[in-house]
Amino acid sequence: MKKLLLSICILFTIACKKDKTSISEVKNEKKEVQIDANLNLYGNWVGDFVATEHDTTDSFVRVNKINLIIKKIENNRVFAKSIVAGNSRTISGTMNENDGEFQFILNEPGDDKYDGAFDFKIIGDTLSGTWKSFDKKLHVTGRSFKLVKQKIEYNPKLMLPAEGDYVDYFSQKIDSTSYEYDGKTEYEYAETYRMASDIITKINASTTKLEEIDLKNLKKLELEIIRNTIFARHGFSFKKKSFRQFFDPVAWYVPVSNDVSAALTSTEKSNIALLKRFEKYAEDNYDSFGR
Amino acid sequence: MLQISLKYIPFQSDVAFLQIKQTEVTSIKGYLLFFYIHVCSSIFCLIAGFTQFNAIFLSKFPKIHRNIGKLYVFVVLFLAAPSGFFIGIYANGGFYSKIAFVLLSILWFWFTLYAFLAIKKRNPVAHKKFMYRSFALAFSAITLRFWKVILVYLFQFHPIDLYQIIAWLGWIPNLILIEMYIFKKFQQ
Repeated sequence: MKKLLLSICILFTIACKKDKTSISEVKNEKKEVQIDANLNLYGNWVGDFVATEHDTTDSFVRVNKINLIIKKIENNRVFAKSIVAGNSRTISGTMNENDGEFQFILNEPGDDKYDGAFDFKIIGDTLSGTWKSFDKKLHVTGRSFKLVKQKIEYNPKLMLPAEGDYVDYFSQKIDSTSYEYDGKTEYEYAETYRMASDIITKINASTTKLEEIDLKNLKKLELEIIRNTIFARHGFSFKKKSFRQFFDPVAWYVPVSNDVSAALTSTEKSNIALLKRFEKYAEDNYDSFGR
Repeated sequence: MLQISLKYIPFQSDVAFLQIKQTEVTSIKGYLLFFYIHVCSSIFCLIAGFTQFNAIFLSKFPKIHRNIGKLYVFVVLFLAAPSGFFIGIYANGGFYSKIAFVLLSILWFWFTLYAFLAIKKRNPVAHKKFMYRSFALAFSAITLRFWKVILVYLFQFHPIDLYQIIAWLGWIPNLILIEMYIFKKFQQ
């Protein structure tokens, strides 16, 4: 009886082992097929997402940065993701190859107000095409894009470029002054915007542990930009256009994710807390009666 | 002003102005204590302005004048000016604003002490002159913050650049104005 039991056990284990090996073999085969066919199409395709069909209001951003990630192509079924302005959408559809040109038609799921359909082709190292919204009542119903593949790597040393003006164009404040002219009251308007000095291209909150003394002379906008540069390095996709305006034009910046908190280093975490404290102080006190 | 002071009550180590003073709060023994002495005592000095310079009040209620005066002198000499001196040493804005606040506290102490000694020696003219000066400096609490609002409105200064300016602008013009007033009043 014992012998019988033992032999059954042995038989069973052998059977299991055989099963396992056959599964891993299948996996390997699959991988090899993928590598051969579509590997050079996979990756982060990054570039400008330009509004081409829109209404006459000014309540939209003409150019956003888009990251179109092609993840997997299986029997012409495409699995991908689009990341624009803090909006991350899984997209899927079909691909057809024609004489070295790869034609894609992909749809966003449709359960978000801003979902739509992508239609593009990849020729050589360029991906170009258009996007049309499902909802035709949106401010922007069509966009076009021309993207190139970009490698993504976290590099704490990356900084905003030293050249360039850092003006917050979404902070317009209009002061009007009235004066009498020919017996009529006329108005004069002066626009002011928040502006950051080049200090934001010098302080790196990812590599250096910041002290209070480093931040005391900074304005709120500068504190905000220094803090958000940390997130930009990790590929955070900014929802707020007031931050996108500073990071979208930067070559190294690629929006990858809506949540990068798990990737932050301890230096970055402590700097974020310090910067936030100073931002709050600046917000409450900079132009008010007090210190 | 009362509102500004009340922000710090109940006592906490990380509110309002202290938000950007954590280095001092955590590394310098006694900073928080002196800071709170300054915030809580200085507010009483400003009250003196309502009663002490009123001639009618003085002739009608000389006793109250003396009592409020004694309170003012006590608060300035033992609480507000020494604590101002201490936190002045650690002021924001480096050397230029530190020297401004330290100098301010020394002069405030000196003018107040001199005015007190003058009335003890029954010299009301010197008492008056030096109390004017003393209160002109006490009033810098208001003018400093007032200048800040104006300058920020006109120019978009960086906070510490601004702080270095108002550290001086808060009390030098006060002193000049009060000297002109004293000169005019006591010339005749």
